[in-house]
Amino acid sequence: MNARMETSDACDLRFGQVGIACVRVRRVDAAALCDELERRVRAAPQMFSRAAVVLDLSHLLDLPDDGAVDALLEAVRSAGMLPVGLAYGTSDTEALAKRMGLPLIAKFRAAYEPVGGTAAAAEPARAEPAAPIQREPILSAPAPGSMQGAQHHAGAVRSGQQVYARERDLIVTGAIANGAEVIADGNIHIYGGLRGRAMAGAQGDEKARIFVSDFRAELVAIAGHYRVFEQIPDDLEGQSVQCWLEGEKLLIAKL
Amino acid sequence: MTAEIIVVTSGKGGVGKTTTSASLATGLAMAGKKVAVIDFDVGLRNLDLIMGCERRVVYDFVNVVHGEATLKQSLIKDKRHDNLYVLAASQTRDKDALTQEGVEKVLDGLSEEGFDFVVCDSPAGIEKGAHLAMYFADHAVVVVNPEVSSVRDSDRILGLLASKTRRAEKGETPVTQHLLLTRYNPARVAIGEMLSVKDVEEILGIEVLGVIPESENVLTASNNGIPVIVDTNSLAGQAYSDTVARLLGEERPLRFIDVPKKGFLQRVFGG
Repeated sequence: MNARMETSDACDLRFGQVGIACVRVRRVDAAALCDELERRVRAAPQMFSRAAVVLDLSHLLDLPDDGAVDALLEAVRSAGMLPVGLAYGTSDTEALAKRMGLPLIAKFRAAYEPVGGTAAAAEPARAEPAAPIQREPILSAPAPGSMQGAQHHAGAVRSGQQVYARERDLIVTGAIANGAEVIADGNIHIYGGLRGRAMAGAQGDEKARIFVSDFRAELVAIAGHYRVFEQIPDDLEGQSVQCWLEGEKLLIAKL
Repeated sequence: MTAEIIVVTSGKGGVGKTTTSASLATGLAMAGKKVAVIDFDVGLRNLDLIMGCERRVVYDFVNVVHGEATLKQSLIKDKRHDNLYVLAASQTRDKDALTQEGVEKVLDGLSEEGFDFVVCDSPAGIEKGAHLAMYFADHAVVVVNPEVSSVRDSDRILGLLASKTRRAEKGETPVTQHLLLTRYNPARVAIGEMLSVKDVEEILGIEVLGVIPESENVLTASNNGIPVIVDTNSLAGQAYSDTVARLLGEERPLRFIDVPKKGFLQRVFGG
């Protein structure tokens, strides 16, 4: 009767966010591909050696035949990377993936999916082994899904707490205390005092911005470019401000 | 009927947690409630001194947690109030001697004994002792001094109260948070040496339950083993009485937060 009960603790199945590099193939030339990837692996072995990669064939005018794809996959392998699937493309790509016994990676699907197109396939591909170390946020509960609204945090963020909005904007209606941290892959909107740290564009989005209604921050950062405030400038303290990136420069101005 | 559990905590040490625990427990008992006050500071026990019962400790909190003594044997009856009991900490053990199950058992036992309030005097820090003191709480009194490091530590504690308590883990109504400002010196606030009530409320985002003025009576009372609330002539004692009344739902205006105006004679002769 309870066969399910007995096995339910055998594993957890969930959609995690895993770091997979995407190799976008621009021409069907296995030798050139191998050389180029080898060069990349040598340049950053920590990052690329035995890294899981997805082959994206959508930028080729015509889908290559099975033999050519096999050669491309072999090229990736001999360069020292591990091809784990194909990026989603047309239904031809899907058929090709099936023949090759490779999964289609759903993450890249949305970009190519024609409106109303088939939404089948692909899902099993997400169970990839190579998960990079992810910052484990204390207070976030990001739900997977391709179209995500902003994450809303009501109330104060206390010293020592961290709120992370993964792959989306973060809205905080409350104060962020000294020693507290709010992080978002998108923009950050704070309707309250910011006395702690705010980091937008955590995955490198340089267009991300931070909006604060009462600015007293320790640190603000966008896409890794940060500014610390040992002394908050008089003209900004307690003001509504926005922060954005212009080139390498993190700018802050009153709203 | 379950006892209401109040944790007195702060993060930072030396801000007045034990003084506050003793006075709140005594004040609640004076209001006719049956109250137990527990010292969670295992290894550095102080509450028994402030309550003036240090020579009557036979069995302590750790003994009860480990089943080496019954709750009845360990509860020390206060010499001034019949409905007030002290559960002392062990001085010879460390904080790992406490377990979550053991603490829960003691608190459940106190509920069964018909206690109205259990005041948990938390140790400083955010480690096991402090965690266990706050874990089962219904109300939290966060003691804060008007200076920046104390305010920051209190902020940390407020965050833990909202996430690391039984109520938070079970998704029940959150622990009620109260702020108690102690060692408040209006004169030093006026010249900008101390944070004001308003500053602290603004930084922490919650209202104060009470403001206890800095007073020599606190030290004297502590040294004599008398909770300062018993000393009705002292400003600190009166401020604690107000605080207890507010905790019981009464509305009372904040006192002792402005610089006292000097009377005519004081102005003439210097005060």
